[in-house]
Amino acid sequence: MSALPTEAEESAAPPAPPASTGMAALRQMRAIRKRHRLGEIEWFDAAYRVYLVGLGGGIALVWLSDAVGDDPLTIAQAANVAKHGPAVLGLFAVAALALGLRSGSQGGPLALEAADVAYVMLAPVDRRRALLKPAFQRIRSAGFAGMALAAIAGQLAGRRLPGTSTAWFFGGALFGLAVALLWAGGALVAHVVRMPLVIATLVGIGLIGWQAIAVRGGISGPGDKVGSLGLWGWRQHAVDLVGLAVGLALVGLGVWWLARTSLDALARRSSLVAQLRFAVTMQDLRTVVLLRRQLSYERTRRRPWIRLAHVGRSHAVWRRGWHSILRLPAGRLIRMVAFAVGAGACQVAAYRGTTPAILGTMALTFVLGLEVLEPLSQEVDQPDRTDSFPVERGELMVRHLVAPAIALVPFAAIGAATAATIEIVHSHDSGGAVAVAAILALPTVLTGAAGAAVNIVRDAPDPAAGSQQQTYIPPEMAGFTTVLKTLIPLIISVVGAASVIIVRNTVERDGSSSAVGAAVRGSVAALLVAAGVALWVRYRDRMRLKFRSFLDEGRTYTQQQRSS
Amino acid sequence: MVAALSLRGLTKSYSASEQPALAPLDLDVESGQRVALVGHNGSGKTTLLRMTAGLLEPSDGEVHVSGHSGGSTAARAALSYLADNPTFYDDLSLREHLEYVARLHGVSDWSARAQALVDQIGLTDRLDDLPNTFSRGLRQKAAITLGFIRPFKLLLVDEPFVGLDAAGKAALLEMFDDVSKRGATLVVATHELSFVQRVDRLIALAEGQIRYDGAPGDTDVNTLVFHT
Repeated sequence: MSALPTEAEESAAPPAPPASTGMAALRQMRAIRKRHRLGEIEWFDAAYRVYLVGLGGGIALVWLSDAVGDDPLTIAQAANVAKHGPAVLGLFAVAALALGLRSGSQGGPLALEAADVAYVMLAPVDRRRALLKPAFQRIRSAGFAGMALAAIAGQLAGRRLPGTSTAWFFGGALFGLAVALLWAGGALVAHVVRMPLVIATLVGIGLIGWQAIAVRGGISGPGDKVGSLGLWGWRQHAVDLVGLAVGLALVGLGVWWLARTSLDALARRSSLVAQLRFAVTMQDLRTVVLLRRQLSYERTRRRPWIRLAHVGRSHAVWRRGWHSILRLPAGRLIRMVAFAVGAGACQVAAYRGTTPAILGTMALTFVLGLEVLEPLSQEVDQPDRTDSFPVERGELMVRHLVAPAIALVPFAAIGAATAATIEIVHSHDSGGAVAVAAILALPTVLTGAAGAAVNIVRDAPDPAAGSQQQTYIPPEMAGFTTVLKTLIPLIISVVGAASVIIVRNTVERDGSSSAVGAAVRGSVAALLVAAGVALWVRYRDRMRLKFRSFLDEGRTYTQQQRSS
Repeated sequence: MVAALSLRGLTKSYSASEQPALAPLDLDVESGQRVALVGHNGSGKTTLLRMTAGLLEPSDGEVHVSGHSGGSTAARAALSYLADNPTFYDDLSLREHLEYVARLHGVSDWSARAQALVDQIGLTDRLDDLPNTFSRGLRQKAAITLGFIRPFKLLLVDEPFVGLDAAGKAALLEMFDDVSKRGATLVVATHELSFVQRVDRLIALAEGQIRYDGAPGDTDVNTLVFHT
């Protein structure tokens, strides 16, 4: 029998089979695949994950509950919430819409399996109907996450504001649903109308800027009605439902035009999103950043900003570093400037008493480090090539830190300028603020980047992995070790940011004249940590080999003792 | 007579500052023609095929498949595309893939045809295995069976011979011959001389533009395939 359709079949084959035929096959195969997936679930493992999430969520809730407290607000405070609350909560709504527009303009929010794009999307089935289920799943998961978070926040707020806890819970859930719908609807519409990224960004910035002005008072913001939904636990205005209706309308519009979904974007996102999910599961922050860049269609510049003059062979790593840094695209440079500005603002907030703001500095300087340490990341990602160079790996890697460290100087200056400007505007103290900011900025940024360097280098192959005597980690310790591996880089990154706390405490104790001295002490501590990281990068392989050799010797000695 | 494939002003530019991946391109392929698309790496072959299949949006221009607008349901029914980098579901065997693709295209009697296809390409023993676990060559063979399990008027194939063993290549050439015998149109991007010498029409692309369009006998095929 011929493998191909017969001539009769070919000639009889209609241009397109009835859409219902393909849809029936699609529905049936989805049901079969669902059964496959359910059959493959490790239920004990899933239960353990649920337990971990529940435990973590419970701890976070207790901490938040304690932080919020349950003392009722004074009448004046409550009036302030009533006046500014809708505008402030509206910021979340417009930010969600702005993020949705950007996501849609970059090919989001849907992500199909690559095989679905190749076989289902190219089959003669109704694309809108075929995409309805993935779209519904995406909207459902966003809606559930928004409702859950906002309901918890509402419930906590309800303990200090008028209204019952139940009313606040449901009011919060309604607000969370509206925010999620704005995100999903904005993304779907931006995708199907092929909104250019620059337009989406400008619209987003405009909306957020408008809402930020509304927060300061005087005008109404675009997100006020949605924000007002967040106060439904206290009082209900029917007109607030307009915000929810806008979210629903956007989703409806996006779903109606689903057939216009770009296959190009779906094909591109399918593999990247799968990798991103895996990277998030593995707490691989560097890969998450890398994949986010790819999802944003961010490409390295073809031509560098400046061409390097040719220099001698001994500067190969230095030149390779600058070749990479000088190709950073404009979008990424703007983002890095924003990180530096944000870090400066966080440091001022921490100095003025909001201690948790150092976590913001930590996150921003950590990501700034990941961005600029790209040459080192590329080296770690190509271990075979690295090992083929006639240079010890530690030495090669530590050389890769030099160019990024210098490239961070302008960003440190931007952070310092931001912090000094904010502080001068607030306290009218020009001299002290500038000096402290100038002293702390570079060590803070370098320590943040040092955490990123640890995060990158820890993924390099273990030189002792080939040893016959492996150190096996018991299963009970595996989860703890993974958490520790994720946390250590962040802990290193927070050291530099914490130096501002030393300054704050010293000034509170000894007066503002001691600020510069405290800043110098904090900087020295931060620089020592950064230097320690550089040493670890340089001698990591040797230390590991030494440690493994020490263990092997111990085992051999014990065996000899037993046999004698 | 309606052309099996008609491209009008088809263009693809990835950025305004860079040279277009495909310059405005006009092309008509008559029904039943066997066409080889050749050109060096980056010449625009895959871009052209992906845009024709509807997987890549053109910056400008139009695609018509058997008179139907590119990407429309009727065009998708008429066109089968075999990508150079095949993808599969993680949790479906080759048999289940074949059933799925066949039924999506309205083929109910898929089983006998699937068996004949895997026998011909040499995957008989692997019908119940997961294609995502296959080697490069076996993945290519599995993708070929999926491209052929459904009816089509136009078959677009991107580098189908890469990774195939000699028996696989021979089987694929035989399948291409069957396609032509049945009057379907074949457009294959390839560097495989054994196929290029058997086509009716040879199109050479270079830097996104057509550099040669004619019968393979009228030109030095070696130069076109390896030095265009």
